[in-house]
Amino acid sequence: MTTNTPVQSPGVMWATRVIGLLALVGTGLTVWLGLWVTPPDKVQGDLVRLVYVHPGVAWVALYLAFGLAAACSLLYLWPRTRSLFWDRLAAAAVEVGVVFNVCTLISGSIWGKPTWGVWWAWDARLTSTAVLLVLFLGYLALRRVPAEPEVRAKRSAFAALFAAVDVPIVHFSVLWWKTLHQGATLLNANLSPTIHGSMAWTLLLGFVALTLAFVWMLLVRYRIGALEDYLGSGELDMALHDRQSEGVVADPTPEALAVVGNARAPAEVSR
Amino acid sequence: MRYVIAGYVVVLTLLFLYGVQLVWRRRRLNRLVTQVEDSRSSDLAEAGPA
Repeated sequence: MTTNTPVQSPGVMWATRVIGLLALVGTGLTVWLGLWVTPPDKVQGDLVRLVYVHPGVAWVALYLAFGLAAACSLLYLWPRTRSLFWDRLAAAAVEVGVVFNVCTLISGSIWGKPTWGVWWAWDARLTSTAVLLVLFLGYLALRRVPAEPEVRAKRSAFAALFAAVDVPIVHFSVLWWKTLHQGATLLNANLSPTIHGSMAWTLLLGFVALTLAFVWMLLVRYRIGALEDYLGSGELDMALHDRQSEGVVADPTPEALAVVGNARAPAEVSR
Repeated sequence: MRYVIAGYVVVLTLLFLYGVQLVWRRRRLNRLVTQVEDSRSSDLAEAGPA
């Protein structure tokens, strides 16, 4: 019997810890600068302080997470680069991206209430971002449908590419339609940032800190996917079956069954 | 300012809780893998050399 234990190299473990620590420090600094150091805006007043967080989480969700998921899905579908590594990475990116997408919608809504007078408006930017969340929630739901890993990876890759079509729509929505949402502050058409001084540096630090947080979450989530695949690939079934046949283990633990159940059909588990 | 504080609290809490949940899931799976590996190695030890 061949074993395929997903061993993590000490280098990756060390890098994960360092990135996590840097993300924590960076986020702490952003909060300190954003809430106490930077001045209030001439037009927005203190509400500008939400800008140090909101575009950062949106950047991570839209461009990093969902962009990475689309790229990984393409690499999986391309026969020369087909590997379950890409599928696992795409799944990790989407799950983390969904969390950041929720943060984007909530922080935007909290900014919108005192600015626009409403928590929500069916504005092109807001609506397309909400649609993006629904699409990628659908992707995560699709992954939970029991199937062989290759079948699941293929249909997930198509779903990710379909959902990712909405990313450029979200980006250009402020240009294509008349929206309440303001245009890009940094990545505008002239590539001329409309924010300066300590406000600009705090905004950039927020981007860096949240990007590091994303990378840390991605690495940990990827590891979880690798472990789930290992346990769900029959290794655990085999080991538990062996122990049961020897009378050492009466029944598989509910914890083990729950893990296996995430990756395999119920009929296969009870086999 | 209360909207600003609310925004920071909600976003940071969500990200923190998700991060904690990730670490918890990873630890739990690592433990399960270790159990399976230990079980397998004791089986091999009992079976002896082929």
